[in-house]
Amino acid sequence: MANLLVDERDAKFVLYEQLNIEELCEAETYSEFSREMFDMVLEAAQKLAEKELAPTNVEGDTVGVKLENGNVSVPPSFHSAYQKYCEGGWAALPISPDHGGQGFPNVMYIATMELFVSANQSLMMYPGLTIGSARLVQLYGSEEQQRMYMDKMYTGEWCGTMCLTEPQAGSDVGALRTKAVKRPDGTYSISGGKIFISAGDHDLTENIIHMVLARIEGAPAGTKGISIFIVPKFRYDDAGNLVDNDVSTMAVEKKMGIHGSSTCALNFGEKDNCIGYLLGEENQGMKIMFNMMNEARLSVGVQGLAQASTAYMHALKYAKERFQGPEISTMKDPTAPKVPIIQHPDVRRMLMWMKSVTEGIRALLYYAAYCEDRIHAAKTPEESAKYQGFLDILIPICKAWGSDMGFRVTELAIQVHGGYGFCREYPVEQFMRDCKIASIYEGTNGIQALDLVGRKIGYKQGLLFKSIVAETGALIKSAKKNYRLKDIVEPFETARNHLIEVTRYFGLKSITEDFMTPILYASPYLELFGDVAVGFMLLWQAVVADRRLEELYGDAKADTEEKKAELLKSNRSAAFYRGKVASAEFFANTILSLASGKARAIMSGERSAIDLPEESFALV
Amino acid sequence: MKSLVCLKQVPDTETQIKVNADGSGIVTDGIKYVINPYDEFSVEEALKLKEKFKAGEVVVLSIGPDRCVEAIRTALAMGADRGVHVCDEAVNNGDPFVMAQTLAAASGNIEYDIIFCGHRAIDDDFAETGAMLAELLKIPQITLVTKIEVSADKKTITCERDIEGGKETVESPLPCVVSSQKGLNEPRYASLPGIMKAKKKPVDKKTFADLGLTPDAKLVSKNFSMPGSRQAGQKFEGMEPQEVAKTVVQALRSEAKVI
Repeated sequence: MANLLVDERDAKFVLYEQLNIEELCEAETYSEFSREMFDMVLEAAQKLAEKELAPTNVEGDTVGVKLENGNVSVPPSFHSAYQKYCEGGWAALPISPDHGGQGFPNVMYIATMELFVSANQSLMMYPGLTIGSARLVQLYGSEEQQRMYMDKMYTGEWCGTMCLTEPQAGSDVGALRTKAVKRPDGTYSISGGKIFISAGDHDLTENIIHMVLARIEGAPAGTKGISIFIVPKFRYDDAGNLVDNDVSTMAVEKKMGIHGSSTCALNFGEKDNCIGYLLGEENQGMKIMFNMMNEARLSVGVQGLAQASTAYMHALKYAKERFQGPEISTMKDPTAPKVPIIQHPDVRRMLMWMKSVTEGIRALLYYAAYCEDRIHAAKTPEESAKYQGFLDILIPICKAWGSDMGFRVTELAIQVHGGYGFCREYPVEQFMRDCKIASIYEGTNGIQALDLVGRKIGYKQGLLFKSIVAETGALIKSAKKNYRLKDIVEPFETARNHLIEVTRYFGLKSITEDFMTPILYASPYLELFGDVAVGFMLLWQAVVADRRLEELYGDAKADTEEKKAELLKSNRSAAFYRGKVASAEFFANTILSLASGKARAIMSGERSAIDLPEESFALV
Repeated sequence: MKSLVCLKQVPDTETQIKVNADGSGIVTDGIKYVINPYDEFSVEEALKLKEKFKAGEVVVLSIGPDRCVEAIRTALAMGADRGVHVCDEAVNNGDPFVMAQTLAAASGNIEYDIIFCGHRAIDDDFAETGAMLAELLKIPQITLVTKIEVSADKKTITCERDIEGGKETVESPLPCVVSSQKGLNEPRYASLPGIMKAKKKPVDKKTFADLGLTPDAKLVSKNFSMPGSRQAGQKFEGMEPQEVAKTVVQALRSEAKVI
């Protein structure tokens, strides 16, 4: 086994054999790149992740961040790892060279992020927030703002944050109270408090650039009156020196996981000396912020993927090494030799679930990033619109399904380890704790489901949904020609039909008085949608893998079951492709086959959750 | 300071190696290849010398099939200036002597003040090529080097080398062959801008004919086999402590024959 972070063979399969990302290099935007370069990037990323980032993950968890005298320090080992990350130019991998980046396709960004985040999610919070906030300055900042902030953020010299949440304004951003008062010189005095600010304060970099949502005095209530400000921790004075900008850290949260990521309560303008610089125009804060929404949500999905990935690799290794009990058919013989637990059916079932789900999330997330690249590489507006549509509808699924199912993979990794998995001595319990946050922040998974049901499926008379239906329909048609894939295609087609049926049902409900049903069942609907989306990916992969496997069988003249089995033992490629087909088969038969029940549950329209008087839940 | 770095591409240390069915070699399908770790120290040291003297060149020389170019490119991404790739069926799996012959011939067209070799390649573990190369070129060699100082006039080199239980300091005129040992340095990582630049750096591909040599192998590999699987340990149970001790001592003496 090469590494315990990401199955690199599978990552390359998605990139080169499923998505065929080399085709992107034909477009002008990516003409500088080649497969050879992508390989080098993956290798370099893996090396950095394994040798520098991963070794600091445990200290990140056990030492965590510390707030002393108003300043937050990160775990000591983070400094050198972060330094190496920045020195390698990773902080701006997908950013256009015009802005100081390397201009790689987004799909490569996501693939490298999977490696880095699986090595150390806490540490990757800092550059993750930085690239997101720097992008806003790139899109909306003035030339001066770009030179002053963005350039230093894209090298990693300064970090960035997103300051949205306030105690009364979490999912309900419109309720925020942070205030901005225009000053005679056109800048703004900022005052107010923010909570849950990731990377809000730390000593990784000398300065931190906060993107702060605030309401300008007299602006309308709700989301319409929100503006966005650049608020540096240290601002430049007239002489060009960095001076304190009156941003103070009140607390760092003690959390279940990602202990190395500083989650801060910040106060702006306690001494009435905090200056903010308007980004873009007044009252455009939400619109500006929405620009980074897709990217940020995809990044959180990657956290689910990355933790699932490393959890699976660790569980697999453990299951191959840990001896316990005899092989099941010799159960009653006390002298029978003990076998590694991977030989026990229940452990195999768990591993198979983890494998197929992890590979499915990987494919879905890479595909979403690839859609973004296809938008940039599109030759026609229609092509661009098509991929934009795929991206928009898949984003809530990537975020919510990716983080929820990723979490379940980490949970199963503990189960595979048994009692040891519950102990700190083994790393898997940290993976589960670190992973949990992904279903909560960047819009809870409940909010993602509302986004899917309320915005995405109804968008332009269901245009986005129809395009997914068409795309999956085309795959079914071609996959049906291959009888060997019958056991995958059939459950997939059935599940897809259930999804279409439920979507129609929601459509009908939303125009009647019973609009509450789609809202109540938005989350189960997202789950069903995610099952089908991932089933789509795995069927697509099975078509490719089956073809390759047949070629290998043919080359080796393996025409009997025995010879095939022999080849799978001796030939790594054949074993890999067989594993890919198996992932699709397993997913189709054990997860997609649940679609009919899931659809029935949704369309039951069961309303007790809504109708039940609060008093009847229990007395608390 | 001009350095010639001899570099070999080898299977990753963590790759599981399998011997092929007829025992003639290993199964190469699905293997991940990397720069021989000792050669990575060489690349790093050569880059450091170039940086220290603020002038010079780092040339990477490798022998092997097409895939070797990946290793050369990685070295270029670390900062080396250009590569020479000898790719010829006749030498790709050559013995250490053929390798040394080829390196010597290929080095003929390259200017260098120093030649770096890894002290051994982690695949075949011969640790012979560097020494043979120095002999063929009739220049000094310093093996197992962990520290390098080059004089300001680039005429002499002082090296620390590993010896049993300590260090030895050796001085030699330049040019010479140095074989890199663990501890020499911490190799840098290939950076993204480095990777972008690497694709534009030249890599000369040469065949054996280009070098005007006939391979003169001294060694024939007869067979490859996997090490036998380890025997399960013995357990001595259900006895009094003295009895156990006695049995174990007996077993160590008569069965394991270690005491």
